[in-house]
Amino acid sequence: MSDHILELLSAYIDGELHGGQLRKVEAHLDECQSCLEEYYSLQALSATLHAAPVPDFPSPERLAADVALRLPRKPVKPMSRRALEIGWWLAPVGLIVAWIFVSTTILVSNAVTAAGDFGLLDSASAWLVAGSSGANYSAFLGQFGLLAGNSLQWAEMTEAFTRTAVPQITWQVSIALLYLSWLAIWWTRHTRQGLGGPFDSGGRPTVK
Amino acid sequence: MTFISQANEIELVTRAQSGDRNAFSELVRTHAQGVLNVIYRMCGDMQIAEDAAQETFIQAWLRLQSYRPQASLRNWLYRIAVNTAIDMLRKEKRILPSAIEDLNLTDSGPGPETLVANSERTEMVQEAILALPDASRAVLVLREFEGLSYQEIAESIDIPVGTVMSRLNYARKLLREKLEVQLFVYAEAENV
Repeated sequence: MSDHILELLSAYIDGELHGGQLRKVEAHLDECQSCLEEYYSLQALSATLHAAPVPDFPSPERLAADVALRLPRKPVKPMSRRALEIGWWLAPVGLIVAWIFVSTTILVSNAVTAAGDFGLLDSASAWLVAGSSGANYSAFLGQFGLLAGNSLQWAEMTEAFTRTAVPQITWQVSIALLYLSWLAIWWTRHTRQGLGGPFDSGGRPTVK
Repeated sequence: MTFISQANEIELVTRAQSGDRNAFSELVRTHAQGVLNVIYRMCGDMQIAEDAAQETFIQAWLRLQSYRPQASLRNWLYRIAVNTAIDMLRKEKRILPSAIEDLNLTDSGPGPETLVANSERTEMVQEAILALPDASRAVLVLREFEGLSYQEIAESIDIPVGTVMSRLNYARKLLREKLEVQLFVYAEAENV
């Protein structure tokens, strides 16, 4: 039975097959009597269902009038949900602003530190780089002879890297991850019929 | 069913979203037939169908702010209709169809014997549909009676297209087992 196409027959009858699958089913039906009988049986089922009549429904006008009588006043969004929705749409803007702020701060900080290292800052501006220079602990250990030569240089470089680059990378990666998460949620919602933000529960099905 | 263009529908939705009841009534008139049909096929009872259809449109009115025009309004309404029908059936403890009384059997064409046979067959079909699990019945109704594509069904009840296909296969398999005699009669009639 593994070569039969029973699982595809429903989709074939509904006109939902295309390309290779469609050709496969058509070719199979040409040579397989058992699948052909299944196909006719499904067609008969569809015809039987369609033959079942529906009762006389109330006219659209009457239904609309009945509904109009029961309609509550203009639907108003609860404040909390509206606030959540505004927050949802402001989130990416906030993240982009945070990204620009962090990047600018890092850039300025690096520029000031570099200027300080090259002696470009006068004594009045020296406070800007006070404490920002790396290698404080390494220098301290070096004073007592615990680190020297290459070890001292490596320790200073590692400490400088840890003090400057790691926080910068952590901030930027965190903001990027939050933004990507927002995009992922937005995309998921968008592909599901675009029924609004993540706080919209309107009409969500219970049929699963 | 009243026909309105998509652009016109979007405009009506926008007006309804700002509280225009007349615009919403126009939308109700447009989709009344489809919603009633889906609910009737889901629950098999005319009275429940009518109540559930009204409830569907009231729910739609209340949730209209969450509807986005890029989605199909019909599919969105069907989603609410299916859930409302299931809720109503649960409340009503799955009343079996009063289909025979509901149906318009006043057609002067067929004789009394044919009418009885037709109504018995209708009742059997409706009972077989009602016996399906809710999830499979919803997919079957949207496909067989409303002619929605698999993609539209998937969007309506928020499931993957592959699940639509498997639920439809399952529903048809169960129906064929229950309606075996009916299908045989149909096949015989076709061969005559």
